[in-house]
This record gives sequence, structure tokens and C-alpha cells, in this order.
Amino acid sequence: MTTLLLALHVLLAVIILVSRNMLTAVILLAVLSLFSSLLFFILHAPDVALTEAAVGAGVSTFLYIWIIRKTEMEIKP
Amino acid sequence: MKKTDILDVVSRKLAPFILLFGFYLLTYGHLSPGGGFQGGVTIASAVILLFLAKGTERVLEVFPLKSVHYTEAYGFFAFLLTGIAGLVFGEGFLSSFLKVKGAGAIPGGGTILLLNIIIGLKVGAGITLICYYLFKEREE
Repeated sequence: MTTLLLALHVLLAVIILVSRNMLTAVILLAVLSLFSSLLFFILHAPDVALTEAAVGAGVSTFLYIWIIRKTEMEIKP
Repeated sequence: MKKTDILDVVSRKLAPFILLFGFYLLTYGHLSPGGGFQGGVTIASAVILLFLAKGTERVLEVFPLKSVHYTEAYGFFAFLLTGIAGLVFGEGFLSSFLKVKGAGAIPGGGTILLLNIIIGLKVGAGITLICYYLFKEREE
């Protein structure tokens, strides 16, 4: 289960790095944070899991989307 | 920003439960997972959800800006005051000076419960203020 979650982390990180749309990258970053929270919970650290879910999926996603609204949505090649 | 019915209905139904869960994390911080920082961030995310759905003016009628500023500014002062009270009445800085019974219950934490609530209110007010000023910069 842990190995599966770690492989999913790597896969999601590669997709985030190569995606050209900023909004897709930020939403996938929130999904990555959610899976990271699940991994912390499996590894018996529920405090860290709560922090990761609240900060990673909630507040930081909001801040990133805010920055995207003020700048460009697409990466120019 | 274009408002949709989905955002309106979901935020109106969901935000009170997120607020309640945040205060649960604050008060049960010494018994179960949770604590000051996690509860504060959860409270702040509920307020941010209301900011997104309702706009800043309607939310600031419920949470006035002045009291949020005061909570953020005097939170650390209250924390320090609790620590010094432990120095005066107890054995050392931040030591629990309240004589409480019943380990495993809510008041069994002594001053830990008080410190968790102070830290949670300070963190919640701080993150709410950061996001409020970001909102305000967009609206101008």
C-alpha cells in the first residue's frame, strides 16, 4: 500500500511538471497533497496528516489560484 | 468573478460544519490528533470559503475586521501571559498551574487546553487576514 502510494506520488509529480496549463498543475498539486496526507495517516502520523490536508489542499491551493488569476494561465513556449 | 449556484449552495451548507470541526480540533487537541495550528487553519479555510462565495463585506459583518486584527495582535500576548502565570503560580515557564482532575476528559488538560485555543484563534485570524488583504488588492 505504501509502495503504491509512493509510485502515485512520482506519477503525479511528473504530470505536474510537464503540464502546460497552470490550473491543471495546481489542481493536481492539491490531489498530490491529499494522497500525501493519506500516506502520513498510514504511517501512523495523524497530526501531520491533518496539517497536510488543511494547508496543502486548502490554503496553498487558494493562494496559487489567486496568483494565476493575476498572471498568465498558459506557459509560453 | 462569475458566481454560480453550486458554489453558493455548497459553501453555505458546508462552512458551518468546517468551522465546527475547527473548534473540535482546538478543544480536543490534547486528547486526539489535532491542536492549535491545525484547528486554526481549518477555521481560516472556512472563512476563506465564505469570502469566495459571499464576498468580503457580508463576511466582515459577522467577523468584524477590527476584532480579527485585535485577535491576531493580542494572541501572542495572551500566550506569553499564560506562560508567565505558570512561572508565578506553578513550577516554571508554561507549567500547568491549574489543579484539575480527570485525565482523559476535556478539562483534564489544564493550561494545555487554554494554550491550544489561544494559538488556534491567533493562527486562524492571521491566515484570514492574509487572504482578506489579497482579496482587497484585487477589488481595487
